[in-house]
Amino acid sequence: MQEILTYIVFAIAVGFLVKKYFFKSKKKGNCDKDCNC
Amino acid sequence: MEKNKVVKVALVGNPNTGKTSLFNQLTGLNQQVGNYPGITVDKKQGKCKISENLSAEITDLPGTYSINPSTLDETIVLETLLNKNNSSFPDLVVVVAEVENLKRNLLLFSQIKDLQIPTILVINMKDQMQRKGISIDIIKLKEELKSEIILISARKKLGIEDLKGELVNYKNWDTSTIANISDRIDATFFKNLKKEFSGFSLYKSWLLITQKNYCSFLSEAQLNKINKFTSDEALINKYQHKETIYRYQKINEILKKTYIVDKTKATDFRSKLDRILTHKIFGYVIFAFVLLLIFQSIFAWATFPMELIDGFFAKLAVVTNNNLPEGTFSNLISEGVIPGIGGVLIFIPQITILFIFISILEETGYMSRVVFLMDKIMRQFGMGGKSIIPLISGTACAIPAIMASRNISSWRERLITILVIPFTTCSARLPVYTILISIIIPQKYVLGIFNLQGLTLMGLYFLGFTAAILSAVLLNFVLKVKHKSLFAIEMPNYKLPSVKNIFYTVVEKVKAFIYGAGTIILAISIVLWFLASNGLHNFKNAEQIVTEQTSNQTISKEEIHKKIASYKLENSYIGMMGKTIEPVIKPMGYDWKIGIALISSFAAREVFVGALATIYNVESDSTTTTTIKQRMDSEINPITGEKRFNFATGVSLLLFYAFAMQCMGTLAIVKRETKTWKWPILQLTGMSTLAYIISVLSYTFLH
Amino acid sequence: MGDTIASLRIGECGVIENFSLDAIPLKLLEMGCLPGQVVKLEQVAPFKDPLYISVNGSYLAIRIETANKINITKL
Repeated sequence: MQEILTYIVFAIAVGFLVKKYFFKSKKKGNCDKDCNC
Repeated sequence: MEKNKVVKVALVGNPNTGKTSLFNQLTGLNQQVGNYPGITVDKKQGKCKISENLSAEITDLPGTYSINPSTLDETIVLETLLNKNNSSFPDLVVVVAEVENLKRNLLLFSQIKDLQIPTILVINMKDQMQRKGISIDIIKLKEELKSEIILISARKKLGIEDLKGELVNYKNWDTSTIANISDRIDATFFKNLKKEFSGFSLYKSWLLITQKNYCSFLSEAQLNKINKFTSDEALINKYQHKETIYRYQKINEILKKTYIVDKTKATDFRSKLDRILTHKIFGYVIFAFVLLLIFQSIFAWATFPMELIDGFFAKLAVVTNNNLPEGTFSNLISEGVIPGIGGVLIFIPQITILFIFISILEETGYMSRVVFLMDKIMRQFGMGGKSIIPLISGTACAIPAIMASRNISSWRERLITILVIPFTTCSARLPVYTILISIIIPQKYVLGIFNLQGLTLMGLYFLGFTAAILSAVLLNFVLKVKHKSLFAIEMPNYKLPSVKNIFYTVVEKVKAFIYGAGTIILAISIVLWFLASNGLHNFKNAEQIVTEQTSNQTISKEEIHKKIASYKLENSYIGMMGKTIEPVIKPMGYDWKIGIALISSFAAREVFVGALATIYNVESDSTTTTTIKQRMDSEINPITGEKRFNFATGVSLLLFYAFAMQCMGTLAIVKRETKTWKWPILQLTGMSTLAYIISVLSYTFLH
Repeated sequence: MGDTIASLRIGECGVIENFSLDAIPLKLLEMGCLPGQVVKLEQVAPFKDPLYISVNGSYLAIRIETANKINITKL
């Protein structure tokens, strides 16, 4: 029982980190407007 | 009227008009910070009930002097007000003006009014009128501006209810224009313009012509129409100047009839203070003193609450461990989650103190004086006076600092500023610094008053700042970026800082930290714990292997337990990773355990301490209360028998964290702000190489 | 003549002359730096750059290269 919970929490943590870093980097492609001139 | 209707309200105004005070008064803690679609500028929004069945969703737009943008922050105002499809396109606009600078504030008001969106003028600081000898004929001014006007004092909460009462009526407001630009500039030009853009107000179509580069929402067809008018840039430019002069003429006429200042009442408090604070010598001395004060207080005031938090979580871990049933999940809670949360909360004292200081400097108007003092100096390094603000906020966190660079109008100055900001000592480095300093530097006093540990910390700040300056000099030589710059900043009146505004800023930043960085730190702690308590064959059979190895030795049971625990850690997944990189980090004076902390802190520096905490916690049996500092201090290097965190290793680590680009968040934000991976990759490789070389050198030299 | 804001001494005032519209950035106009207005030099940083001026009720800091472009008649 405890082990299952541990794996669930681990999976959530990994999923969260992946989402935070990889999902975001995909979204970054959106800003294509040149605003620095 | 329908029940529970929501109207969208945009707050617009010059900087330093008390716009944010009004926002805080209207929304209270009912605020949230989001992002504008596609860009990262913070969008501050809040909810406010303005009548029984009407509530307002208020957006606090960045402060601007005019609707024609010259910085990135200001383009947001333009975009929000021109793009009907923008999610925050307002039903009505509240323009906040300040009683003393009414003339300049009215320029912006007249521009917005001409867009023919329902607009109300709010004149702030009504409580100051008598003292400054200002009187306004409100009834006449309402007539002349064809608008509703409310006098308020955001600080003293005067007139806020009147404003709410008036907002309810927004559908009945007069939306006619103030300035009739067409006749005064070029009648035929504007006649054609009107014909081409029949659905738009004249001023809106004129803005589309002049600001087409900033309007990312335009369709191909609209752009083609616009391009018909923009062939002669010099002419457009001239018309823009004429428009501004005309608007001022109009405003002057109106104010002549409605606004009286009794000059004898004017105080010269401002100029007296300026004579000292912007003095050629005293100005700099005072600024240096202010910086010293900030850094000393971070160290002096933050360490105590930090130790409390650290100690509390160490105890909490033991208590939970003793009270939960034996098992893996209980271990995860007491060894992974609780130290993880502690590793997040430990930052709050430092972040709070830093943002209190930064917002006091901004609120009082002192920051502008610093910009003035530092401009010439900063230009020697390819930056500008305005770079000082991001560089100082960089001491809190590089991410908001890089975003704060958006109000630097020269792209070259802005780029250099962005590139060197990560060298400034951000608060994420502080826990690493404080813990290492407290281990390797003795608690002594120099000259009776200066704490040696505090001085070391200040030295590290200074080092970071020097690194930033030197790399700016280098970049200034190397960078070939075209350079167009206008520097004109307002020197606002001195003000007493509002406790309420500071409180809201600090709450906002701390909240942003906990939700943004905090969740990441917690997740990394959990992953780290998992990798540290699982492993391959050797890990699973640790008990058997260690017992066999020690079978012919006579050692206590406790000793064997310890041996098993460290053997397990060594052969866990994370231990294997640490062992792999050990050869690379050995010249810097680190072992594989520090290596683990180094790898995991690549995502964010502050993870370093938490990671070490997790590693040492897994290794030791968590039945006794030890703080992370005690654990680090008692760690022994098995080869030399010396302390693991001795002076040489400590200094090498301090220097590594001073220079290395250990922050994924910063890399991501630099990518977003510069629109290319080129700059973040340059930062990452440059800074990491520098950090590695310097750490190796310092360790070799000190060892 | 040929006086500009840069030739003022601290505490001195001048009236801004009609300047060529394309030499001056729009932002300065918008902040109140208009022809016919009285400008006063409040303070200067070392090397007289930037300059801290007051004009038309606004207090501004501008760099010397901008100040050099704005012609004035000394008062």
